[in-house]
This record gives sequence, C-alpha cells and structure tokens, in this order.
Amino acid sequence: MYIPKPSKFDPDSFGHFGIFGGRYVPETLMPVLLELDTYYKTLRFDEAFWSEVNAYLKDYVGRPSPLYFAQNLSNQMGAKIYFKREDLNHTGAHKINNTIAQGLIAQKMGKKKVIAETGAGQHGVATATVAALLGLECEIFMGEKDVARQELNVFRMKLLGAKVHAVKSGSRTLKDAMNEAIRYWVTNARDTFYIIGTVAGPHPYPMMVRDFQAIIGYEAKAQILAKENRLPDFVIACIGGGSNAIGVFSHFLEDEAVQCIGIEAGGLGVDTLKHGASLLKGSPGVLHGQMSYLLQDNDGQILEAHSFSAGLDYPGIGPEHAYLKDLGVVQYDNITDQEALDAFVWLSQKEGLIPAFESAHAVAYLKKMPSEKLKNSLIIINLSGRGDKDMIQAKELLSFE
Amino acid sequence: MKTLVAYITAGFPDIAFTKDLALGLADAGADKIELGIPFSDPVADGPVIEVANLKALQAGFKLEQLFDIASHIAPQIDTYWMGYFNSFYHRGFESFAKKAQELGVKGFIVPDMPFEESIQYAKILDQTALSLVSFVAPTDDEARIKRILKNAKDFVYLVAYAGITGSGVSEDLQDILTQIRLQTKTPVFVGFGVDEKTAKQKAQGADGVIVGSAFVKVLLDESLNGTQKIEKITSLARTIKESINS
Repeated sequence: MYIPKPSKFDPDSFGHFGIFGGRYVPETLMPVLLELDTYYKTLRFDEAFWSEVNAYLKDYVGRPSPLYFAQNLSNQMGAKIYFKREDLNHTGAHKINNTIAQGLIAQKMGKKKVIAETGAGQHGVATATVAALLGLECEIFMGEKDVARQELNVFRMKLLGAKVHAVKSGSRTLKDAMNEAIRYWVTNARDTFYIIGTVAGPHPYPMMVRDFQAIIGYEAKAQILAKENRLPDFVIACIGGGSNAIGVFSHFLEDEAVQCIGIEAGGLGVDTLKHGASLLKGSPGVLHGQMSYLLQDNDGQILEAHSFSAGLDYPGIGPEHAYLKDLGVVQYDNITDQEALDAFVWLSQKEGLIPAFESAHAVAYLKKMPSEKLKNSLIIINLSGRGDKDMIQAKELLSFE
Repeated sequence: MKTLVAYITAGFPDIAFTKDLALGLADAGADKIELGIPFSDPVADGPVIEVANLKALQAGFKLEQLFDIASHIAPQIDTYWMGYFNSFYHRGFESFAKKAQELGVKGFIVPDMPFEESIQYAKILDQTALSLVSFVAPTDDEARIKRILKNAKDFVYLVAYAGITGSGVSEDLQDILTQIRLQTKTPVFVGFGVDEKTAKQKAQGADGVIVGSAFVKVLLDESLNGTQKIEKITSLARTIKESINS
C-alpha cells in the first residue's frame, strides 16, 4: 500500500523549501491553513487514512497505472522508452490522485463545500468528480480564455454538478483563476475547503499535493525494476505548477544514477516574451501564497505567461521545483508550442497514444535531448494526461489531407 | 478623537493627482494616508481596488512614482506604503525599507504577509524605525491574537469580516476587540467595507477606521473630472471623520 515517506526535501515547519514556499496569505486564511497543517500531520503517515485513499485509487481511479514500453518510439530513437500511463486514470490525467485525497480530507474536516482553480480544466474535472462522489458542493474558477479553449472540460464540470466561474480579470487564464479562487476562499474561509490542483500555494499544500502525487513515482520505480531490473537513466515530465513532475520524480530524487528532467512551456520561444518558463526566465518572488520563481518585470509586477497548452500557461511554479533547481538536483529545460504540437502528432501516429498538449512537451524532449545522452538510455516519461480535451483546439491547429 | 486612515491607489490616474488628493485628504481631517502600491494580482482586494490597481499599471505606474509621491506628502501627513509583499521584496527588502525611511514613510501595510513570514525582516524594520502593521482577522483565536500582537507597533489593523476589501459584509467585532485590548495598548483601527454609511458602527469600540474602496470608487467614476473627484472624496472624508467622532 502506498504511504508517503519523509523526504530529505521536505519543507521546514513553516513550509519553507530553502527560501521558497512559506505562507503569504491574508491573515483571515492563516487559522484555516494552520488547522489544515495540524490536521494533515495526523493523516500523513496514518494507515487507516491511506487505506481509504488507496481503495479509491484502485477501484475508482484504476491504479496502478501501467508502465508501458513504447517499442516503436524506442526503435526510432535508439533508446528504451517507457510511458507512465497517468492518461489512463479516471478523468484522463494525474489530477485525480490529488483530488481524491483532498476531497477525503475536506469531508473529514467537516467542510461541505470545495472550490478549485483550473487551467486546462483537468483539475476542475477531477475536483468536480470527487465532489460528486463524496457529496460535496463544488465551485470551479477558470480563466475566461481557458473556458473558451477547453469547452469540453467546462461542460464535463457542469455535467458533474459543479458551478463554473469564468474569470474575466487580468490574462483570463490560470493565474487569474487562482486569484479569484483565493478571494472566494478568504470570503468563505469558515466552511470552504480549497482543493489546490498543483504543488503550489501556501504551506501545507505544496507538500500535501506532492505526497498525493508521489504514488506515480512509487509505482513507476517498482514497475521499472520489475521490467528492467535496474533504475532508469532519465525521468522526464512536463511542468506547469509541477505536480505530475514532482509526483513521478519523488521516488527517484535520492537515486544518484537517475537524472530527473522537468520540461517547462517554451511557448513561442524563451527569447520572446511569450512563454511559461518561470524557472529559466523568472526570479524569486511571492504570488498565490508562496515564494518561488516568477515571471515578473523590474517592479515585481507579474507578467502574463504564454503556452498553447492551458495547463502550462502560468507565470509561477511550485516552490519545491524552485528549490530543486537551485540545488541542482533536477534539470529543467523547455519545449516550444510547435515542438509540443509536433510531438502530439508523432506520439499519436507512432504509438497510437494521443497525449494531452501538456504531456506532449515531455514527449517532445526526446528529440531535443543531446543524442549522446539519449542513445541506449533507459527513460521514463510521465504521460500525465490524454489528449481528448484538446481535440477542438488540435482541430484548429492541424489538418490531415 | 478617533482616527481616519485613508487608502488611495498611488499613481491613479497620475502622480500629480495623487499628491493633490493626499494633501486634500489631510486638510479634510484624514490622519494617515495609506499609499497603495498598484500590483498586478491584488488577491486581498475586491473589484474596486483591483480595477484601480490594474488601471494605474496600464497608465504606466512605476515604483519611482511611489517614491516621488511619498517624498512630497510624507512631510505633511503620516504616510504608509500599502501593497503586496512582492513589491517590497523584488528590489530587496532592505533597500526598499531604507528608501522608505529616507523619504519619511512611517511604515508598511502588507496584507499577504502574516507575522510568521515577517520575523525574518524584524531586524531591518527595527534599524529603519518602520512599523509593519499587524493584521488581526475575525477568524483568529485568542492564542493567535496574542502571538500576533506581541510586537504590535503603531496601530493594529482589524479586518472587519472574512473577505476582500469593499464588500458589504458585516460581522460583530466586539468580542475580538475585547480580546485585542487584553493583549495590547496599541490603537486598533477597523478596515474593510468602511464607508460613510458604516463608519460610525464599525468604529464602535475601536480607535479609528481605515477607508479605501469608498474613496477609490469615486476615483473610478468617469463622469467626474479631477477637481470634482478630489472635492467629492475630501467631503466623504469630512463626513466620515465627523461621524466616527459624533
């Protein structure tokens, strides 16, 4: 049974990963966060709680997700390439691992209502799903621009009984959805549980969400050892806020032989102003309750990110990634919109797997990796989600005659 | 005499206007000015102040303008910089604090900076003689109030309800005021949702009120010219000052 393990990269008791993380929120929310922190401490290593979580993960989500050997891609690239199939989870992505656990915590804490922000809509759908399952009221905040480009997921959320707020301020994407969710939370702090979708936000969320997603790395490690009898050389994942990446990296970070690589959204190119590469191009700052790398101007105003994939279109990143970057434990690189779109087609036609636009960034990195590293290496790519939600957008970007 | 603290968004619509408005408010009886630093993502603020922030940024607001305004008004009225922590942090907290001290600013009001995170800056604040205003929220319990107020300086900012600025919510604050009084002799000012109608009631048991959205709403009124806006805001300030002291 999966139970999180303490990590040498755990934050301190205030939630600091080095200088990053922490709790930068209006005072009204502090008692709520401290209560959650105290409550989560009692659950973190509690067998009864985890057996409940695992029961849902097994029979409702469909875990463990398979580790699939991609024969055709491997032949073409001259490496052994495995995909961790988070795309096969119920609701189509890794997000549900987290919402199951947070939903159960909300229920145990006696909260009747849950809220969530969403970018691509995957976290919104996963939250609405769990709310339906556990009988909780659910409101989702989503940027107006994302509502337009992810209309299928918006419909799914409504079908599941959630109320969807289209956020009209700022860049009308994930950043602004999170602003609005925080405003709602401050206003309804007493009875509302905020299910944050990634390893970001104020402590204890980054640590908690990491614990919930670390089941990906826990399974992947056992699976690769069973299939190959050795650890992988590389573990690759895309990064928006960074939850699928932290999840799959978690059980490999302390293995010297394994190099974890996180892929940020390069958008139209990291030398333009239109990208989401906070680690590469950002600097430390405070947004959404935490200190981390942010895309910002000389006055500390937050800049708009850009990615054609709504899930990576965010100017910040989880604080643990900022910490792992500065420590040099994880390598970070980026992939442009065009490279990701090419990989979206490539994986579809070579392996019959249609990845989410987000996950296509990680797949695309196979073609960007230095060939001396790639050749004959053993690689796990986290296929964090499936591409169904992206069909309408893909249809506009691609034509097959 | 109960205190009136006036919040205005710096640089909206321009710095000359902000200077005139601040000094006009001082004449009208405002005791302290909270000079709001426009920020791209003001999560503690409601739509009125959020829009003013974004408009000021669209009009090209830069921190240099904050310094310019502060240098002009701080000699004439107690001036505080109110903003989100990233604005204070980005150029280095220490150099920002030194700049504030040099310009005669009294202190900082940072709604996304709970006291746990402020501990690391206590030394710099001491050296620059700046007060970091302590926030107390209606969700705080007695133990937390005690911790927060241990080093309270200048005044305590009591948030009037769980929520964002400028909403019409009302909560009974008498219990929490009693608890605050047990911990500190520092004056307590109530902020959030205070306007000419609610001021008297919100000031009950407190030493003053903080008014923001009610003034900024006038700033956003496009049917008024600059002079009319200043007249209307200063007249609101007079009304509120009289009402809390009546």
